Amino acid sequence: MNGNFLLLFLAFWPMIGALIGYMLGRKNKTQRDYFAVFVCAVEMVIVGLLFKSASNSAPAVFEWAGFSGFRIYFKLDGFRYIYAFITAFMWLCTTMLSPEYFAHYRNRNRYYFFTLMTLGATMAVFLSADLMTTFLFFEVMSFTSYVQVIHDESDGAKYAAQGYVAVAVIGGLVMLMGIFVLYTQIGTTDMALFTEAAAALNDKSKLFIASLCILFGFGSKAGMFPLHFWLPQAHPVAPAPASSLLSGVLTKTGIFGILLVGSNLFLHDEKMGVIILCLGVVTMFLGAFLALFSIDLKRTLACSSVSQIGFIIVGVGMQGILGEHNAIAVQGTLLHMVNHSMFKLLLFMSAGVVYMNMHKLDLNDIRGFGRKKPVLMVCFLIGFLGIIGLPGFSGYISKTLIHESIVEKIWLFHDYSNASTFFQIVEAIFTLSGGLTAAYMTKLFVAIFIEKNNTDQAKLDAKKNYMKPMSTIALVASAVMIPVFGLFPQQTFMKVADFGKYFMHGHALEHAVEFFAWQNLKGAVASLVIGAILYLLVVRICLMKKDENGNTIYVNSWPIFVNLEKYIYRPVLAFLSTFFYYICKMLDIFVNMPWALVTHVVDHAIALYPKWDTHKSTAKRIEHYLDDNYSRLIATSLSYGLIVSFAGLVIFMLVMWFM
Amino acid sequence: MITGAFLAMFKQKGRNLDYTVLAISVTTFVLTLLAVYSGEPGVDLIYVTDLLCMKLRVDDVGRLFAILTSFMWVMAIMFSFEYMDHEGHKTRFYSFMLLCLGVSVGLPLSGNIFTMYMFYEMLTVLSMPLVIHSYSKEAINAGKRYLMFSFFGASLVLTGFLFLNYFGTTLDFTAGGVLDMVKVSQNPTLVLVLFVLMFIGFSVKAGMFPLHAWLPTAHPIAPAPASALLSGVITKAGVVAIIRVTFYLFGAEFISGTWAHTGLLVLTLVSVFLGSMLAYKEQHFKRRLAYSSVSQLSYILFGIIILSTNGLTGALMHVIAHSAIKVTLFFVAGVMIFKAEIHHVDEVTGLGKSMPITMWCYSLVSLGLIGIPPTTGYVSKWFLAQGSLGLANQIIAYGGAIVLLISALLTAGYLIPIFTEAFFPGKDFDYSSVKKLEPGMTTLIPMLVLTAITVLVGMFPGPVLGFISNVTKILF
Repeated sequence: MNGNFLLLFLAFWPMIGALIGYMLGRKNKTQRDYFAVFVCAVEMVIVGLLFKSASNSAPAVFEWAGFSGFRIYFKLDGFRYIYAFITAFMWLCTTMLSPEYFAHYRNRNRYYFFTLMTLGATMAVFLSADLMTTFLFFEVMSFTSYVQVIHDESDGAKYAAQGYVAVAVIGGLVMLMGIFVLYTQIGTTDMALFTEAAAALNDKSKLFIASLCILFGFGSKAGMFPLHFWLPQAHPVAPAPASSLLSGVLTKTGIFGILLVGSNLFLHDEKMGVIILCLGVVTMFLGAFLALFSIDLKRTLACSSVSQIGFIIVGVGMQGILGEHNAIAVQGTLLHMVNHSMFKLLLFMSAGVVYMNMHKLDLNDIRGFGRKKPVLMVCFLIGFLGIIGLPGFSGYISKTLIHESIVEKIWLFHDYSNASTFFQIVEAIFTLSGGLTAAYMTKLFVAIFIEKNNTDQAKLDAKKNYMKPMSTIALVASAVMIPVFGLFPQQTFMKVADFGKYFMHGHALEHAVEFFAWQNLKGAVASLVIGAILYLLVVRICLMKKDENGNTIYVNSWPIFVNLEKYIYRPVLAFLSTFFYYICKMLDIFVNMPWALVTHVVDHAIALYPKWDTHKSTAKRIEHYLDDNYSRLIATSLSYGLIVSFAGLVIFMLVMWFM
Repeated sequence: MITGAFLAMFKQKGRNLDYTVLAISVTTFVLTLLAVYSGEPGVDLIYVTDLLCMKLRVDDVGRLFAILTSFMWVMAIMFSFEYMDHEGHKTRFYSFMLLCLGVSVGLPLSGNIFTMYMFYEMLTVLSMPLVIHSYSKEAINAGKRYLMFSFFGASLVLTGFLFLNYFGTTLDFTAGGVLDMVKVSQNPTLVLVLFVLMFIGFSVKAGMFPLHAWLPTAHPIAPAPASALLSGVITKAGVVAIIRVTFYLFGAEFISGTWAHTGLLVLTLVSVFLGSMLAYKEQHFKRRLAYSSVSQLSYILFGIIILSTNGLTGALMHVIAHSAIKVTLFFVAGVMIFKAEIHHVDEVTGLGKSMPITMWCYSLVSLGLIGIPPTTGYVSKWFLAQGSLGLANQIIAYGGAIVLLISALLTAGYLIPIFTEAFFPGKDFDYSSVKKLEPGMTTLIPMLVLTAITVLVGMFPGPVLGFISNVTKILF
């Protein structure tokens, strides 16, 4: 054990806190709530203190050799610091919201225990600098967060949690397979050595397979297509503070792993870049498309997460494709990660505020809830404008950077030949997905804050004390940075980007991006215009209809049979397991047939010689010492045990003789 | 030294006081510790001829298994206090349990194949009363089957043993093998056949396909402490015997790369998959655990037959992991039976509320069996997979690792739903119906200790791995 012990503290303090909190909670629930906030606050302070030790050239490290057969190896470089910070901050905010949110819940003690455990594990995942350490805490995180997903224990929650744990276990094992192969190929799991070791390898085909396995494992957590399906299921049913953590932080652990493959193991590798890019494009578009149809507040946000993760993965893919010119893509990826964490924290907490007052999430039921509630409205509005990428908010900055990276690739072709068509399509889908984002977010905003409720608007307006001061602080704190970053990108946000680019091997920027020049504004405007058109044409016309009372309501017209998980994954898994079960069962019966036969014959043979039982034999003598039943059994068993041994011997002799 | 331990037990046989029995087992444990670390190389018990001589020899493999066995016995006896009140016939149970203890401590310390064979047969006969304890018709049938399988296996071993007397230079266990290469070169195929026969013969105890069928009948029917020992420890007698045969009689060099090597690798993998698959679909809880043993023990045999440092390290690590985990799982099954009358996995709903500590133990060790870090199962699985990937035959190398992981997935499939149902009974669960069903301290302590071992050895495997490396250093 050596190095900076504060890093170890960061990982294990929440776990110790979880235990203490659990003990406290058995006696006093209010104290427990405050204690949980205290644990997160301490975590936050420690992260703050570590600011000086975090650097790209000489990062603080901590090593605990021999743990679990390998080691715990933490490092605090720029990228990891940013994510340690975000993790601590998000946990602090959500824990502040929790006391009010969970006021009427059962099993709160369990929730707090596992939330804090997850905090420790997540922190450790982001700090880890050795793939074995990452894997260790990644698995711990999967299982502790499972409890958060299932916390509600409704049928929906149990179904979603089943999907979640299945994805987590399968993803984890596939990743482990990848790590096995990776280790046999490059002989190290130290991330700092990945790039060199991989470059030194002549035959990369096995490493490629290993990387795809690792990509699969981390992608499952990130919500990457085709493993995105657990997000839209798990987020709506999990408690809001948990969904904001799942969406804002836990998915980023997946991105962390994707970066490991995309910008460490296969640095500047075009082939890997294209694979990641394609997955990203599908995820980006699909998520946004699903979100447009959803009429459940949290489900929309969850689909939106899938889509935003897609944007990030596009950024990762572009890093590989751009090679030496990856600066813009690196910055865009990192900033979009940070942005998405902030947005989803804010939006899911707002959704939580809605839910704890209404106990409903269907847009038709919560319609008009936000009217005359300025604080909530402003907070949600900031998240809304941020995520759609309106200039002046931070979402614009990161989206522009990723967009620029695609444009740059098109420029690099110099001519507009066929080769660039692919990237032009990518760019078009990118803009379209931006438009879809604008459309579904407008749908949410209009429904909650502008339209009136069909049934009882006055009752909704009457709710004045809809959140307590501590919740308000949490909400406002998470909203403040979005416009600040957006308005002063060069002074603030780009500094963050520079801080984190070492991990992704970002090169120096060739020219600074002029965010507020028309050339760059153009992309955002195009997206927003598409969004407005989609909203007016699709949402207002196709996705709303009048009910029998003449009120307009939102309808979900997503075809029910288009469900990868329910109609493909689950049946296929069930079929495979049944199929192999019958094969195994047949083998089992087959090898048992001779035994069944022998048993039968021997039992009958013994029945034919009744004297065996009654005659004064050795068996009879044993009977003096043991009771009757038992000796009979021994006699029987021994006798045919001998027969079988003898038969075995004879068969063997015969076989040998023939050979 | 060891005889001292034996005598103590034989004399005390028949006392029915719980604590006497516990005291004896603790004494045995301590004596075992003393014996294996006394520095004395061993004793000759009975001397007939050079060939037929009961010899006990202490080496690292023997140490590992002897300590493990006697420790698990202490746990199981402690557990039986409460459990056996409900089963009855304590005296008989304890006496046979102690007899088995003596034999199974002796078995890994045997110095030659004859001694081992004697202990092996004694173990079969003496553990039989544990299986048929309830005297029901099923129990007796299960007992018969157990005997039949074991004797058949033993007959295969005996054949090998007789032939080996010709082909080997000695029958004492010697690291690297005892084969006389001049004689072997007359008929190497025959020697390989012998090896396969002995392997399969001993694998009966370790429940490997195709001779696994006694496990799922015998384990569920025995009382919980006995099935825990049968599955967690007595099966390890088969494992240690196979280690002796493979590395100390035939030698890894001789087997490596032959058809016997490939064939046994495939056989163990089939067994790994088959066990998990059958467990996955099995609804009776203890039978599910028994099938799981089929699969997990084959992990160990697979590790052995990989014939490399990594493989053997993984196998020995998994011996420890599987003992601790399977014993705990059977304890939990026992608690479910005598506290809540639960035999099937679909009856556990809400059990986490009525016996939280038991179910916590269950959850943690099941994660261990799946191989989720940071538990013992994870460490062993890592070495097994590395060993597998190190094999020369690429198809088996990758196929092996994939089968291991698919089996881990199935393990997750048959263990996780139980604790999720137990802890998350659903929104409309009636909390007022929850009764306190937690068992007493003597039952909880063994479970807690073993769970702690599962997790702690997983976190800090250093000393254990160091110990294992002493074994592997000599062999490779």
